[in-house]
Amino acid sequence: MNLLGVLEGILFAVGDEGITLKGLCDVMDIDIDEAKDLLMQIQKRYENNEYGIRVSYLGDAFKLTTKKEHKDYYHKLLGNPESQTLSETALEVLAIIAYNQPITRVMIDEMRGVACGQIVRKLTARGLVKTVGKSKMPGKPNLYGTTREFLDYFGLASIEDLPKMNLEEIDEEKETELFTSIYKESEEVPVEN
Amino acid sequence: MQVTNKFEFTIAEFSGPLDLLLHLVKESKMDIYEVPIEHITKEYVEFIDQMEEMNIDVASEYLVLASELIHLKSKMLLNIKDTEEEGEQLEFKIGTEEELRHRLMEYKRYKELSEEFRLLESRRGEVHTKIPESLIEYKEDVALNTGLTLDDLMSAFAQFLERQKFNKPLSTKITKKEISVEHRTKEIRDILTKHKRVEFFELFDEPSRMYIVVTFLSVLEMTKNDEIDIRQEENFSNIYIEAK
Repeated sequence: MNLLGVLEGILFAVGDEGITLKGLCDVMDIDIDEAKDLLMQIQKRYENNEYGIRVSYLGDAFKLTTKKEHKDYYHKLLGNPESQTLSETALEVLAIIAYNQPITRVMIDEMRGVACGQIVRKLTARGLVKTVGKSKMPGKPNLYGTTREFLDYFGLASIEDLPKMNLEEIDEEKETELFTSIYKESEEVPVEN
Repeated sequence: MQVTNKFEFTIAEFSGPLDLLLHLVKESKMDIYEVPIEHITKEYVEFIDQMEEMNIDVASEYLVLASELIHLKSKMLLNIKDTEEEGEQLEFKIGTEEELRHRLMEYKRYKELSEEFRLLESRRGEVHTKIPESLIEYKEDVALNTGLTLDDLMSAFAQFLERQKFNKPLSTKITKKEISVEHRTKEIRDILTKHKRVEFFELFDEPSRMYIVVTFLSVLEMTKNDEIDIRQEENFSNIYIEAK
């Protein structure tokens, strides 16, 4: 059986949930090196502009996505995608959680100077934030952290992929490329402001 | 310095008091580390006042920061050292100028990061994924884990089909519902004038429940009215109906 075909089928089936490297090894009964090799092969194949999909590494998982160079077509296809973007406040709260996790709600409040229990609740309901434990502080308040959905939502591969507070160069190793999300790559292209 | 309408913003455009303060610092075109506290406090308090003049609801958080700023400012003017007011210290979170600047800097960092997140959000929106395939049909023993076999499933399905059979005449009976006992009685009378003698089961030529019931009722009715004779030669043999 051609493992490349199997891999493609698996990636199709898992959809936006994606599959981790380890998950792939378990399902396909191969070792990590084989899995990486197959992924790189399929990634290379999809690079060809005959294909409309690509393999992305988002939220610690491999998943198929469409290509961003085709975005205009999807825009037309989906009509008016008045996508629900997050509010200014929600983004601030998320940023604070992302860089300081695990963090209590009171700590977030203090950093922003505004109470944000409501927003934290909303973000939790949206699956971008979750409780990751209890603080040892009096009252044992919940500690919050970001989720894999959070990473995917911002097109990030892993938590290390968060925008750096002071910019650093991304190293150009082959394997790093595999784990690099689409958005990192697109930073190489000058973006108009 | 003009006082009225110098602010082009309303409070709704800020995500919190620090956001507003940061904006005022930016407006002053000075660095966070350079801007005088008296100046920024004045601006802040003026802004809050103006909002209240315009009858715009100012959230209490903004007032908290205003009082912090005024407290800090007066402390600096009076040149009070921290150690002399330890009791009061607890009520105010911002004790020194450096603390304020530090908090503002920290907030600014996250504010900038959230702008970066906004960019990432829109870039991610440019590509699409799909929901996972439903693999339920490949899942084994979802609920059949309780010693049930394929045979059980088949007999359950057979039962289901049986039920479906009953459903069919029920759904078509709407027209047959019209059959009344009187009507059926007349029909049976007609059959009997034609044939003199008829087998009981022959009368039930339609497999609908309603038809069967109505026919049976008609036969009972006719027996009661002494219209017909019902005969059976021996146990389990055919039943015959004859007109009297």
